[in-house]
Amino acid sequence: MMAAVPKVLCSEKGVLLRQVFALSRFLSHDLVSYRAATARENRLCAAGDAFLGCHRSYRSRPTHGIGRFKYLLPKEVPKRKKEKVQMKEISTGTEYQYGDINIQMTSYDLCLVEHFAQYVHRLCNRLSIRVNESYAMPTKTNEVLFLEERGSKMQLDAVLTTHQRVIQIRGLSSTFAPILLEVIQSNQPEGVHLLMKQHTEADFKSRLKSRPELEELLAEIS
Amino acid sequence: MARHCGVMAAPLARRAADGARRVCSAAAQRPWKLFGAMCLLRLPRITQPLEKEEEEVAALMEQIELEKSHYSDHEIRKLEEEEQLRRKKESLYDEDEARGKTVIMAQDLEEKWEQKFLHFKAAPRITEADKSNDRKSLSRKLDSNLMLLVKQKIGNQDLWLLPQVEWQPGETLRSTAERAMAMFLGDHVQAKVLGNAPYGIYKYKFPRAIRTENNVGAKVFFFKAYLQSSDVPQTELKADYLWVTKKELGDYLKLEYLKKVNRFLLDL
Repeated sequence: MMAAVPKVLCSEKGVLLRQVFALSRFLSHDLVSYRAATARENRLCAAGDAFLGCHRSYRSRPTHGIGRFKYLLPKEVPKRKKEKVQMKEISTGTEYQYGDINIQMTSYDLCLVEHFAQYVHRLCNRLSIRVNESYAMPTKTNEVLFLEERGSKMQLDAVLTTHQRVIQIRGLSSTFAPILLEVIQSNQPEGVHLLMKQHTEADFKSRLKSRPELEELLAEIS
Repeated sequence: MARHCGVMAAPLARRAADGARRVCSAAAQRPWKLFGAMCLLRLPRITQPLEKEEEEVAALMEQIELEKSHYSDHEIRKLEEEEQLRRKKESLYDEDEARGKTVIMAQDLEEKWEQKFLHFKAAPRITEADKSNDRKSLSRKLDSNLMLLVKQKIGNQDLWLLPQVEWQPGETLRSTAERAMAMFLGDHVQAKVLGNAPYGIYKYKFPRAIRTENNVGAKVFFFKAYLQSSDVPQTELKADYLWVTKKELGDYLKLEYLKKVNRFLLDL
């Protein structure tokens, strides 16, 4: 009896499975023929095995929408275009820390100053000093004119471009700060000016472009 | 002793030196004499020469860059003018002549720049002080750090040390070190002290003959400063002073002292 029942179940299941298989085969055959009719280039489908390549999930397939996940994530607040004011840490406690410090490197040579900025950034990463931002200030172009007064006035031109890179650091402890300064200074290449100063709002504002039309309109209103 | 601690803690306004606090409490248990010493550094003026491999790599990279780079405006102009000259010689082109006479040729500009470059004389990397090995002058090794060493009388010995002076109660260790510097170099030396925390410590016990209950030994705290002005006026009070590099320190300092000093010296 016991032996018989499982057999029955099995057989039933088998029959069921076979039925399902047949049904699915029937459906897939339909699909295959349909696809073959519409897209002759689809070699995979025409190869013989019906299931190769036809994995597109239609709305009728149980796997429809299998990759969806956006509905599970929390809703994103749309970003405001306006820039927020920067934060500054006030030094307290026995382990005195500096707030935001800007390391500004200026030079006439672009490659040199960029490589030095990369070096300083990597050094801070290695010493586990948090680097807030690492940005470049716009380049300034200076034209040098020589006025030679020997008979005819000649003007010899030279065009000099000044490049500046800034690395912003936070959380530098006061015991470590002079060591960092010494390391950076001893690795300073020729021709690069180094400046370490506290970050102020004026520094932040200098990066933003002023909009003269907006200011004019504001002046007109007020 | 606690009173002294309190007075010392007040001037350490925003940046405390843990070392000073620890010393204060240690002084209550075992009295040590405290000294503040200043390591005055003259920063290098020029970069160190490249190693052989570095030079080879630099030359190779320059060549690669040159071969990969595009022509600049000046070079294009020069090539065009050479073309024009060549065409003029082969067959007379009158249309270009009028234009060519009024404009300065790129070749002339180059020659002018060459002349200017030849007039320019760079300062020598190896100065006379290097050649004569004058250890008292500041213009000696221009590519490395130079440190000030003075000869001081400790106990009954004359030793070469970094300038040090005993700590007076009621002042910070940093001001002790500054006082030491001012004592040997005069008041108006332009030096920038790096930080309020000491860089190193050297402690030693007095020989058994002098040692007493209240006077076990001495602790010397080192501070670092950068010399801002390029030249120090020759108004040194003590005659025996030297400016030496890190490698030459071994000639003058004692072994234990040298070990502690070398720990905080950065010589790249």
